[in-house]
Amino acid sequence: MKKNVFWNWFWIFISLVYFFIPLYATFNFSLKARKGELSLLAYQQMMEDPRILRSLIFSTEIGLLTILLGLLLMVPTVYLVRLKAPRLRPVIEFISLLPFVIPAIVLVFGLIRTYSGGLLPLTNNYTGLNFLLIAGYVVIGLPYLYRSVDAGMSAIDVVTLTEAAQSLGASWPTIMLRVIIPNLRSAMLGAAFLTLAIVLGEFTLATFLVGLKAFGPVIWQVGQNRAYEASALVIVSFIITWVLMGLINFVGRRGAADGSVAAGPR
Amino acid sequence: MRTKKFVYHLIALFTVAATLLTACGGGGGGANTNFDWSTAKSATDGGGMDALIAAAKAEGTLTTIALPHDWCNYGEAIETFKTKYGLQVNELNPDAGSGDEIEAVKANKENKGPNAPDVIDVGFGFGPQLVEEGITFPYKVSTWDTIPADVKHPEGYWFGDYYGVLGFEVATDFVENVPQTWADLLKPEYKGKVALAGDPRTSNQAIQAVNAAALANGGSFEDPTPGLEFFKKLNEAGNFVPVIAKAATIASGETPIVIRWDYLALTDRDTFAGNPNIEFVIPSDGTPVAGVYLQGISAYAPQPAAARLWQEFLYSDEGQLLWLKGYCHPIRYNDLVARNVIPADMAAKLPPAEAYAKAVFPTLDQLSTSKTIITENWDSVVGADVK
Amino acid sequence: MSNNARVVASGGSRPKPPSIRKSPPSFAWLGVLPFLVFVVLFLFLPSLSLFVGGFQDAKGNFTLENIRGLFTPFILNAYWVTIKISFTTAVMGGIVGFFLAYALVAGGVPNWVRSSLMTFCGVASNFAGVPLAQAFIFTLGRVGLLTVFLKEALNIDLYGQGFNLYSFWGLSVTYLYFQLPLMVLIITPPIEGLRREWREAAENLGATPSQYWWHIGIPVLMPSLLGSMILLFGNAFGAYATALSLTGGLINLVTILIGSQIKGDVLHNPNLGYALAFGMVVVMAVIMSIYYALRRRSEYWLKQ
Repeated sequence: MKKNVFWNWFWIFISLVYFFIPLYATFNFSLKARKGELSLLAYQQMMEDPRILRSLIFSTEIGLLTILLGLLLMVPTVYLVRLKAPRLRPVIEFISLLPFVIPAIVLVFGLIRTYSGGLLPLTNNYTGLNFLLIAGYVVIGLPYLYRSVDAGMSAIDVVTLTEAAQSLGASWPTIMLRVIIPNLRSAMLGAAFLTLAIVLGEFTLATFLVGLKAFGPVIWQVGQNRAYEASALVIVSFIITWVLMGLINFVGRRGAADGSVAAGPR
Repeated sequence: MRTKKFVYHLIALFTVAATLLTACGGGGGGANTNFDWSTAKSATDGGGMDALIAAAKAEGTLTTIALPHDWCNYGEAIETFKTKYGLQVNELNPDAGSGDEIEAVKANKENKGPNAPDVIDVGFGFGPQLVEEGITFPYKVSTWDTIPADVKHPEGYWFGDYYGVLGFEVATDFVENVPQTWADLLKPEYKGKVALAGDPRTSNQAIQAVNAAALANGGSFEDPTPGLEFFKKLNEAGNFVPVIAKAATIASGETPIVIRWDYLALTDRDTFAGNPNIEFVIPSDGTPVAGVYLQGISAYAPQPAAARLWQEFLYSDEGQLLWLKGYCHPIRYNDLVARNVIPADMAAKLPPAEAYAKAVFPTLDQLSTSKTIITENWDSVVGADVK
Repeated sequence: MSNNARVVASGGSRPKPPSIRKSPPSFAWLGVLPFLVFVVLFLFLPSLSLFVGGFQDAKGNFTLENIRGLFTPFILNAYWVTIKISFTTAVMGGIVGFFLAYALVAGGVPNWVRSSLMTFCGVASNFAGVPLAQAFIFTLGRVGLLTVFLKEALNIDLYGQGFNLYSFWGLSVTYLYFQLPLMVLIITPPIEGLRREWREAAENLGATPSQYWWHIGIPVLMPSLLGSMILLFGNAFGAYATALSLTGGLINLVTILIGSQIKGDVLHNPNLGYALAFGMVVVMAVIMSIYYALRRRSEYWLKQ
């Protein structure tokens, strides 16, 4: 047992070192805005830019909506496929991996072209553009959404759970809401993290659909000429994203205390 | 002076407008609100500048694309335009490359919403494509005649807006002796210090850098291979850093010498404000290479009057001087100089004029030939052999 | 698999209950319909230009020229390098990620450490592009923090020894920054699903830790391990901004080629770009088939 704990801490330590040093190097650079001394000047200048806070709020809202839509689509689909149509599984999986090979630039021009007129014009107003953005992000996040939810479902015995619930007289909505989803908490949180991180940092879709309203393009703009501010912005956005995830994690795990059917060893 | 000429123009336009309107039996001087500005090939077509301004105000917005605020002082130009005419400006995708802008126009053909660009600013080499694919609508600004003939399409599908010259942006905090020539760059003291500001297979700036190196080493636009050879030597000597230089890499000292457009280097000098210190040098061997950019009005512009007003603004003396303030030489530079319109303090901040007098402007054919040779051969001549 | 393992894994000796009562098959399709509709509307339709454009020339006429153009040595090399780096970082990220995830889940680590690291992984999994490239330039570039520290404090000259951040391996180390956290996030729920009872039962039956892993742990996890690694592969395969910022101009990747054709200031043959992307889809399909073959074998005994 003791030897096990040593190795665990070893891996954690090595990973921490690997993750921390580049961040520290960026932070170190951001402190050099005033020549010859270390100061928080870059952070001050960055805070004075109103676009940053505005775009951060906007992107966070888009992110939350993306998570909602993504999970809404994904969880029932994966569940049903596992339960009833296992032959569909390779198909869904392949589809979920397609966004990797479709470059964002192709996707965004495709979205603009397809929805610029004709039956479903979405590019004529800001609401439509925002919706296109969310849809685009769900597409981009598809691989991660699918993999998280699928991996989570593979860890619980969906068939047996469903059977047991059905034999107790539960209806489908009850099964989903009170049996399956509580057991997927950890996987869904993982999916939420990944999606939020993608949305906050994404650039190509955002810049063509909403321009400087979103966080990614603003970061890019700042980085074009203002070296120190850009690094300060990277550090700050990293911390903010981390805090947001911590919040999601906190909210998510609080619910786990109410007796979900034990699927794991905890 | 400038005001006199402007007033003269205005009177002329008023006269024309008044004549037209009275001939049509219309009321007192004012905008003809039924005119469709998307068919106008000049301001006079629609009744003159006042009519144009009124129509633009009625439209209310201008949608631009690919105009970073720090590029040629576009930030100030946009703000001035907004306050002067009371219009909103919807800025799309400041990151867009020329290819992106064209794609954006094409993809948004049917779209009259806020996502379709009204005006574009693209590299010189894209001119023919604009005409071929019907991307832009021909328009001649009021100051059309003062734009040099070799940088505008005779009918106005595209017209040059500004140009810059390539040189070395040097962060002197990290470099003791500032290189003055291309040959200098090969010296061992610059080991691991020289970089390009783009990928030579995609960035116009980087490709022109290779052309410039070629010109300094016995080559030409038709045969830029000496330029490729130069970079090969630079790479083998270990002087070339293969990372694309950005503000951060210059400031941190990773890429202290960058081959850059003058306006970008000089803007950096101002933005960094000494942290680090930047010097801009136009190398004395070879011939300075100039790069021109083009303006165009989208053929599908949702706000055609605003688009045309923007062009009139940019090509007025006021607009041209705003570009000059951003260190970009406006296309009517020679005209401005001849009429003595440039403020002395602005002129003092620019690199010496002799270099610009010597600068060579590659023609479309030369651009095309050199581009093909460089992009196809960069990897085999210079590139690392990654297997 | 040994009978022992099967008995242990099924949590006892009860025979399996009768299979679930089958509702009409159409119900499953109905439930999957929203997903399919969404995918058709927002993935397939917009990407149609991809498939169509790859077979067209600039004027819109049908041509195989673009596809033929894919078979030049330059482009084939680009595919090869892209596959290589995706595979390398998928394996590296997969292995280290697995150990880290296991350490976090089962390692007796305090809850707050685990939570913070998991959320950190969420952030880091998408830390890519220019900021990541710059972070590594600041660290391991020629005048990077670590480079300078090693030279001055420990007299180790990285670049003198031949190390170069702007190389295949430099890019791989950089890619790892988002591959590793991704692996951790995906593999953690399956590791949590490894029931402690199985391990205890195995130990009761006299198994050593390595026997446990060999007969139970790894086989149970194998489908998820493979699935996560294919995700990592795809993730690296499609990466663009990081590679461009770090090694743009020197290393040949398909995504950079596509970008140069579609976005470029100079080259502008979007049809070739579309053909290149189409090629990527084909490669992905091939990789997926190999993955399926492997996974079907590993999932065999999990189907009870």
